[in-house]
Amino acid sequence: MTETAADTTRTGDDVPTALEAAVTTTDHLRIGRAWIASGVLFLVASLVAGLLVSLERMDLSGMAVFGDADSLFRFWSAYRVGIVLLAVVPVVIGLATAVAPLQVGASSVVFPRAAAFGFWVWALGAAITVAGFLIDGGLGTPGGTSRTDAVALTLLGLLMVIGGICCATVCILTTIVVGRTAGMTLSRVPLFVWSVLVAGSIWLVTLPVLAANAVLIYVDLASRSAVAFGAEDTIWEQLSWAFSHPQVYAFALPLVGIAGDIVPVAARRRHGSHQALLVLTALLGVLSFGAYAQAAFDVGTPIREQAIFVVEAFLVVPLVLLVLFGLVDTLWRGAGSRRTRMPAPLYLSVLSVLFLLAGTVLGALRAVAPLDLLERSTTGAQFTFTIGAALLAAMAGTLWWGDLIVGRVAPQGFGLASALAVAVGVELVAVSDMISGFMGLADFTGGDLSGAGYPGSGVNVLNTVAFVGSVHLLIGALGWLVTGVVRFKGARSLGDTWGGHTLEWTTETVEVTSESPLLDAAVEVGA
Amino acid sequence: MSSLTFAPAVPNRPRTLVIGSALATSGVLMFFGGLFALYFARRADAMAWGMEWFPEGAIRLPPGGMNMATMALSAITMMWAVYSVINDDRIHAYLAMTITAVMGVAMLNQTVFYFNDIALPIDHSEATTFLYVIVGAHMAMVLVGVLWLGLLLLRALGGQDTSRNRDLVSAAALYWYAAVAVYMVIWLGIYITK
Repeated sequence: MTETAADTTRTGDDVPTALEAAVTTTDHLRIGRAWIASGVLFLVASLVAGLLVSLERMDLSGMAVFGDADSLFRFWSAYRVGIVLLAVVPVVIGLATAVAPLQVGASSVVFPRAAAFGFWVWALGAAITVAGFLIDGGLGTPGGTSRTDAVALTLLGLLMVIGGICCATVCILTTIVVGRTAGMTLSRVPLFVWSVLVAGSIWLVTLPVLAANAVLIYVDLASRSAVAFGAEDTIWEQLSWAFSHPQVYAFALPLVGIAGDIVPVAARRRHGSHQALLVLTALLGVLSFGAYAQAAFDVGTPIREQAIFVVEAFLVVPLVLLVLFGLVDTLWRGAGSRRTRMPAPLYLSVLSVLFLLAGTVLGALRAVAPLDLLERSTTGAQFTFTIGAALLAAMAGTLWWGDLIVGRVAPQGFGLASALAVAVGVELVAVSDMISGFMGLADFTGGDLSGAGYPGSGVNVLNTVAFVGSVHLLIGALGWLVTGVVRFKGARSLGDTWGGHTLEWTTETVEVTSESPLLDAAVEVGA
Repeated sequence: MSSLTFAPAVPNRPRTLVIGSALATSGVLMFFGGLFALYFARRADAMAWGMEWFPEGAIRLPPGGMNMATMALSAITMMWAVYSVINDDRIHAYLAMTITAVMGVAMLNQTVFYFNDIALPIDHSEATTFLYVIVGAHMAMVLVGVLWLGLLLLRALGGQDTSRNRDLVSAAALYWYAAVAVYMVIWLGIYITK
């Protein structure tokens, strides 16, 4: 009996150039690297937008940076959209494309061409979205001063981004469902795989709803006179549900899996109850479904004042606490072992769960009507904590599986320092926004702070602290980028870096040339 | 002395294409779900305020009903195509796929004719924006289905759609049934309740 895999060898003139190889590749590791690298680059761009907004908020009286409130709003919304759909989600998809197939014992992602197609659609859409924001488009403005054609371009880019993400997600989910090796039941899959399955399912049922909103706005905007959805001062209102509680948890959900895979290997102990963590992750996924929480559904009582929104906000908190308890329990039991290792990704993954907890607590507080925090800057604080948590986990994931994905080692110390800069940045931005929110600062403030009723309240000082946090975030992201570049120059990885003997380090990767890689890699019976 | 040797049983092939198509189709359904949810919410709001939704007489039942009948029949012919492929009945498979695709094209043609006939401006009201977005998106969905059926026909002519290799047909059928289901909601929500 001999095992055969798809022929991937080329000789002579058939050898593709580096560009051809990058564009036409069906190697899931290469596609994963492309997602991660692009995501980090767009993260830097998003954080630059965030930094400029923070700089402007330090002194809104003169509008020294943007000149007017509408331009400020464009960058403010670009930061939120960019950091979620152009940075965090792509990096998670990259990790999942590269690692999840190997974790379930598959040699590649299924539909590799579709996976590559998803990436290129997303990349083109991301570039169009950024261009739309830069040419006075974006997702509308309070004053309605955007260029209509540029807003339409931004919406088109957003649709392509959603299409690319959904296409890649379908490939990953199909791999998890049909590509598992014998004996790998869904109850035995690694937590990262499970969290991607849950989060991907939520993305697949919510992002098309966001696309539906965007199509409706696009058509209305492009018709002769917008009648309801394409009015520029309401566009963000119709799309903002995807970037706030509870939907924002769906984007952060894979962090539970990243932490859940790192902790037991580092602690040299199995989780007390793997099944319990699977159930908790699934429940978190169900509670993060946010497509119903749209302003467009505000007929009668606003959605965000209805019982389902409030109950959901409170239920998430104990679930995250239980996840944290499960991880700490594993670490605690492993602490007695002399072999316990404390690698950099461990600190980051546990920290990411703590940040998620902070985000969910703020989400619960926002749902308390008497506190009146729904439209305050606590919304931004919750967003920063939650997406910052996902960002930290993604950094932990790239440090943890980077040797596998790239095949070379990276300086862990530098990676840890970069991630800690991000953690400090998240902390400073989120805490200052949270306090400002309790003091009454609106989520988006485009006017003079002193004229808006905050004289001498200390909000300006807090905004200065937030600016310092934004600087930390940008430095951390640049550090992450440098870590990745340095990794490509590093020494070759010897495999199973962390000694966990987990499946992803032993499964052989096959670059396939067919649409059915798992079938092509099947065993051929010979003489 | 000779001995018989048997090759190990071929493991069950995972229905990769069907699972992938089901996931993708669920995304498409959620897209329409989002549109319908908005449509019904805004319509209920308008009705509650006593406002006109569609202009009087603009939406007529017969064209919508004819399209619904066409789509319903195409679902049956699609089932026939799957059944024929399962039974390696190539002639009937060709016939069923062709009829299904022609019905899809007929539905597109009827819709284009009807909307040209009523000539309702897209920016007349919120309702007309919804009408064109929902119906237009569904037409795009049907067009993709027709193209998919064309691909299936070519593969069938090449002998590639067989009972052992029918996943692409099953996947296309799943997608087509979803297109029919979406039209059913359009028929009920737009043409009947107006």
